[in-house]
Amino acid sequence: MRHYEIIFLVHPDQSEQVPAMLERYRSLIESKGGSIHRLEDLGRRHLAYPIKKVHKAHYILMNIECNQEVLSELTHLFRFNDAVLRHMTINRKNAVTEPSELFKQKDEKQRDARSTNFRSHRPRNETEADKPKFEEASEEIPDQLAG
Amino acid sequence: MAVRQYSRRRKFCRFTEAEKKGTPFDMDSLHHHVQLLKEYYIAEGGKIYPSRNTGTKARYQRLVATAIKRARRLALLPYCDQHQ
Repeated sequence: MRHYEIIFLVHPDQSEQVPAMLERYRSLIESKGGSIHRLEDLGRRHLAYPIKKVHKAHYILMNIECNQEVLSELTHLFRFNDAVLRHMTINRKNAVTEPSELFKQKDEKQRDARSTNFRSHRPRNETEADKPKFEEASEEIPDQLAG
Repeated sequence: MAVRQYSRRRKFCRFTEAEKKGTPFDMDSLHHHVQLLKEYYIAEGGKIYPSRNTGTKARYQRLVATAIKRARRLALLPYCDQHQ
């Protein structure tokens, strides 16, 4: 069995299918004694140039170990799946498990986005005590009606 | 003898330097380092810089070129600056 790195691009409108696709590929690889060493969902990325009039795509990166039969089956699936815009397989010498540079980039971007959102939606010094307490408010209503 | 009018930054090959330091660069996943390639190894128009401009050693220049072509195929880098 050999080591391969597969990167494929999924149409952004078919993004929801990704988990199901990955599950299918996983079962295909593992049924023939192969294994997935690294699986990264890089999310939707902006393309450097449009492909099939699409400007964004969902990137998946996986490092696998499998035999020739499984690999040709996988490429066959990619080729006849309309949701897959593009796919590329690279030979690797060994199993790669540490997170890729692309994944790190994505992580940083998300962290930045999250921190800015946090700042814009909430004042910095607000704590749990400052939040309105809904339970107490609802208890007061019957009293007011009675009065 | 011609006198140098201005001092230019010495060219160096970052991959050889990394190797000398004992932390060789993982050339197999160079196509993941989009930012590095974009910044140092391709021109604004998307062309690959020749090694005579960047100082990259021939052995590494071949790998850089392959990595850029892989990244282009995956739409991580542009082929040119005239895509739509």
